[in-house]
Amino acid sequence: MQIRDYVLRRLIILPILIVGTSIVVFALSRVGGSPIGIYLSHEMTQEEVAQLEERFHLNEPLPVQYVYWAAGVLRGDLGWSGVAAAPVTQVFPQKLAATLELAIAAGLVAVALGIMLGTYGGARRDRLADHLVRVFSISGAAMPIFWLGILLLIVFWVNLGWAPIGRSDAALYRRIAHPTNLYTVDALMAGDLRAFFDALRHLALPAVTLGYGTTAIITRMMRSSLVEELNEDYVDAARAKGLPERIVLRRHARRNALIPTVTVIGLSFGFLLQGTIVVEIIFRWPGLGRWMADAVLRGDQATIMAYVLFTSVLFLVVNLIVDVMYAYLDRRVVLGT
Amino acid sequence: MASGHQDLPASPRRRRSPSRGRSVLAVSVALVLTLVSCTTDGDDDEDGQPTETGADAVQVSNPDEFVHAADDEPLSLDPAQVEAGEGGETVILQTNDRLVEFAPEGPELDPSLSTEVPTGDNGLISADGLTYTFPIREDVTFHDGSPLTADDVKFSWDRVLEMDLPESNASLLADTVDETRVVDEFTFEVTLQQPNAAFLNSVVTQAVASIVASETVEANGGVTPGEPNEFMATNPVGTGPYSFVAWNRGENMLFEAYEDYWGEPAALDLRMEIVPDPDVRVLGLRAGDYDSIETDPSFVGDVEGGEGIEVFAGEFLLEPIHIGLNLNIPEGALPPEDTIPTDFFWDPRVRQAFNYAFDYQGFVDGALGGFGATVPHYFPQGVLGYDENMPVYEQDLARAEELFREAGWWDEGFTISVITEEANLFEVAALVLKDSLEGLNPNFSVRVLALAEARFDEFHATEPLPFAMWVKNADPFADPHAFMREYIHPDGSWGQVHGFANGYEDPEQIASLIDQAAVSTDTDERVQIYGQLADLLFEDPMWILAGNEVALNAHRDWVQNFVMNPLWPRPSLKFALFDK
Amino acid sequence: MLDAARPRVGGHRVRAAAVRLRRFASVGGEVLRNPTTLAGVTIIVAMVGMALLAPVLTEPNVPDPYQMPRDWGALNEPPGTPDHLLGTTQHGGDVLYGIIWGSRTSLRLSLIVVSVTVAIGVIVGSLAGFLGGRVDEVLMRIVDVFLSIPELIFALAIAAVLGPSFGNIILALAAVFWVKYARIIRGQVIHVKQNDYVDAARVIGDSRLNIFVKDVLPNSITPVAVQATLDMGNVVLIGAALSFIGLAEAGLAEWGVLVSQGQAGISAGRWWASTFPGLMVFLWALAFNLVGDGLRDVLDPRTERR
Repeated sequence: MQIRDYVLRRLIILPILIVGTSIVVFALSRVGGSPIGIYLSHEMTQEEVAQLEERFHLNEPLPVQYVYWAAGVLRGDLGWSGVAAAPVTQVFPQKLAATLELAIAAGLVAVALGIMLGTYGGARRDRLADHLVRVFSISGAAMPIFWLGILLLIVFWVNLGWAPIGRSDAALYRRIAHPTNLYTVDALMAGDLRAFFDALRHLALPAVTLGYGTTAIITRMMRSSLVEELNEDYVDAARAKGLPERIVLRRHARRNALIPTVTVIGLSFGFLLQGTIVVEIIFRWPGLGRWMADAVLRGDQATIMAYVLFTSVLFLVVNLIVDVMYAYLDRRVVLGT
Repeated sequence: MASGHQDLPASPRRRRSPSRGRSVLAVSVALVLTLVSCTTDGDDDEDGQPTETGADAVQVSNPDEFVHAADDEPLSLDPAQVEAGEGGETVILQTNDRLVEFAPEGPELDPSLSTEVPTGDNGLISADGLTYTFPIREDVTFHDGSPLTADDVKFSWDRVLEMDLPESNASLLADTVDETRVVDEFTFEVTLQQPNAAFLNSVVTQAVASIVASETVEANGGVTPGEPNEFMATNPVGTGPYSFVAWNRGENMLFEAYEDYWGEPAALDLRMEIVPDPDVRVLGLRAGDYDSIETDPSFVGDVEGGEGIEVFAGEFLLEPIHIGLNLNIPEGALPPEDTIPTDFFWDPRVRQAFNYAFDYQGFVDGALGGFGATVPHYFPQGVLGYDENMPVYEQDLARAEELFREAGWWDEGFTISVITEEANLFEVAALVLKDSLEGLNPNFSVRVLALAEARFDEFHATEPLPFAMWVKNADPFADPHAFMREYIHPDGSWGQVHGFANGYEDPEQIASLIDQAAVSTDTDERVQIYGQLADLLFEDPMWILAGNEVALNAHRDWVQNFVMNPLWPRPSLKFALFDK
Repeated sequence: MLDAARPRVGGHRVRAAAVRLRRFASVGGEVLRNPTTLAGVTIIVAMVGMALLAPVLTEPNVPDPYQMPRDWGALNEPPGTPDHLLGTTQHGGDVLYGIIWGSRTSLRLSLIVVSVTVAIGVIVGSLAGFLGGRVDEVLMRIVDVFLSIPELIFALAIAAVLGPSFGNIILALAAVFWVKYARIIRGQVIHVKQNDYVDAARVIGDSRLNIFVKDVLPNSITPVAVQATLDMGNVVLIGAALSFIGLAEAGLAEWGVLVSQGQAGISAGRWWASTFPGLMVFLWALAFNLVGDGLRDVLDPRTERR
């Protein structure tokens, strides 16, 4: 199959998957009954409840409600978030920025560290360094993020007082404008170094906590594909030509080993996304994940639906991009579903 | 903590370390350290405020504004929409005035926008107790610049009645007020449907009866029945000591001291930070970022004795934590695990046995950290008529066993489910109940179903309630009649839902006593009737009153003129009274 | 089992079976020769032993041993307190009790979820693989939709709808975890279908069920076994995350619940109530990851050690 056909096929399937996901999301929200609860206080009368149901179209049959909801989503109306006490769309951009800043920082840490550690271990196979790298990466897959976060908090926040929780210091927050709501970027744009370092200091622990699992995944993939590449004939040939080991590793083996690693980076994006929920709870990071957790605990269906739909569409798109990139990078890959 | 930073390599240049490839871990650790030292370093220059580490914060931070950390985002700032006990009430207390107010200390009423508190003696309450006259203060302006007249007062009350939003407290007005009248530019009169001794205390002082600027409302959407006013929900305009500036959702709300306030203007501006997490509030208080924080018993022990921190334990809150007993269970509606019959609680011995079994001490000392007390049925401390000699349940396992035996449940045992909201004091109360009963007799089993708030509220909106027991706190009321009507009267809202008529030995007597006290204008007579009710209800309880919290507030010791009144909505503070 | 009428196919099966048998026999030894795998096995044995011996190690709480015993007079006791070796929680629950009975909770959770999801995965995957065509297309799109929502987020959304209880966590995890098995099995079915010997079997008139039982299943066991081992750890990891977020029932003796509860006290220096139970989740997941990894190294010829 040609790459173009492959991309086309994936692009055609994408909207089907998105609609499928939206149905799953909607169905889920109604399995447990009406989402009216979040709009009620515990001493309302039947008539008052009926009034509210009418206001939110919850007295209509389910398929009609789905159409109302889906049409709203297309118009950019995701309903009223009981948790945020505001329309979902009004709160979403700010929370998204918070989560993006965290996820991007964690992703950068993970990709950089993962590739370095993987290369380091793979090039020193079965030596002590390699074993340490393996332990590190297997621990990453088994690490409960909430526990790691709490350990780091106990050490760096409670005992050492180095790393604060939250996103920024309140006074510094008010000192600068926030056009992007990515606090590090905002601080740089304002040319305020102190605010920048404050934002970084707040970002460091949650990003490391969130990034650990992903670092482990990337390390593991990088290590094993490097080991594989180093066994290939072309590596022996290069060595036979007298190229220094360093060059062989950097120019040839590592470059090729990066190709399969790219797919894992895509997969681990989902890992990052779901990790933000727990990390944001622990570090009081005011992003989407924490919002989702609050919504879950209080039964705020509009927020849950918006969040799940958004993350899964994002996940689908990212996976598509990664798969296409992978296909371009490695023509040897058998294209198929 | 901050003083340790001199030892660390402290320069932003350090971040560009050339040794990237060598030891990744070492680099990243160094990076974190450098970042830390940079910022702590930064603390010493510029405005010199140590921000995260409070141990050495001696000087007053934010000298021009008062910073309070609230625990929840308000839903609406419109008196016509705000729910009882919800965050919006706190804001409305600061931005809007009412005709009369609770005095800072105690339950007495002070004049406010009405220059006198109506009484029978000053002739402002008619002899039949039906008509109240309010002389309106002159030379008062709203934050929008318009002058206050009796028309605004009438407009504000009528507006609530006309909008009649289901989520709001409109029923307070709707159930009492018959007619509102403007007598002249500065005289407002109201006629009640029937005499009501609690009218001033439990209606006029409440957020729903706040006075809003009619000009602003008319210019921004006017009044539509059944529809919230989006503008008013986010822009309170009143005559209060604080004018509203901005609401940054999820972050904070800003207010300015209103210079033209008719009373003593506030000394400081006000910022209310929205901080749901208790840990963050505690940390901010320790650091001096916050002047006061929303405080509850579960963590007050962690801040008590902190440097520069004062904990104020005041009167009791007027919202006892209670466990409801359902006497109106539909056949077949209970969860399948439950083995009790639907008329389980019709037997007063069973209700008494539950009351004797509950571990009050464990709840008050454990969950409430000692900042609480048990409550008589159903008279929270601080409300008119409360008397410390009223009978109160204490744990008496022998008596509980005896009663369970008499009622025939001891040998057979039972399984019962109790619903509660998740992860808060209510859940703890349910767990204490579980431990109390299961510890008493292994044949008893209590299932605690901790539900999401929305599910809990949804179940409560279904009548009849398909569970035998539930935990929550009472809505705060300023007058005993409101508690009686809501939680005791067989025809009151809970009385109907829970079928109290099925359980009271003499429902007629209870009802007539409550009605009698409600219309009496003689305080002594009311107190006497409430005493009689408390004795009757001890023998015939409809609730388990787990305990009542003390109103707590932790604040910096630089806060001056601190005063707290639980009759004001949570956190029971009027910030305009403070200075620092 | 052998049928004289089809010696070629049967002969192949005998050889394959013999090879498999030898491999399996050597797997045990080989797995245990790897020190990290051995460490994993040791931890698992210890954990499962603790779960089985829970009633012996601590006195079960009456009437429900899976509930934390609470002592409202002994809140927040530090570790080393007599009767409370690892301290108590903010509700006066004994942390050690929670750890011991939490291992039972985890064992229950992972065994139920993994066995249920393997069963669902096998059914869906083989239906898709054998029937092919439209059925395959529809089933696989459903699988794709399920895969398009990250595991924890999906499980969280399901558990949120169902309400907080341990049973609902099991349901939510089962709804999420079957997908991988369906993919593995379908892949194997299609792979096996393409092999000559199955064609041969079909020519001879072997029924689909027979092909499934004799060829597909044995070939799928390896990847399924590896995935199931890893999932024994992952299920507990994600289940604990769900309870950490607040979806377990009140007062349950479960590790994630304990970490979540203990979190509230750490700013006041009460580190024990969250760190010990969290360590257990880590060790549990680590052990199954180590063993799963070791199994894959030994069983899967593609990544066999070179």
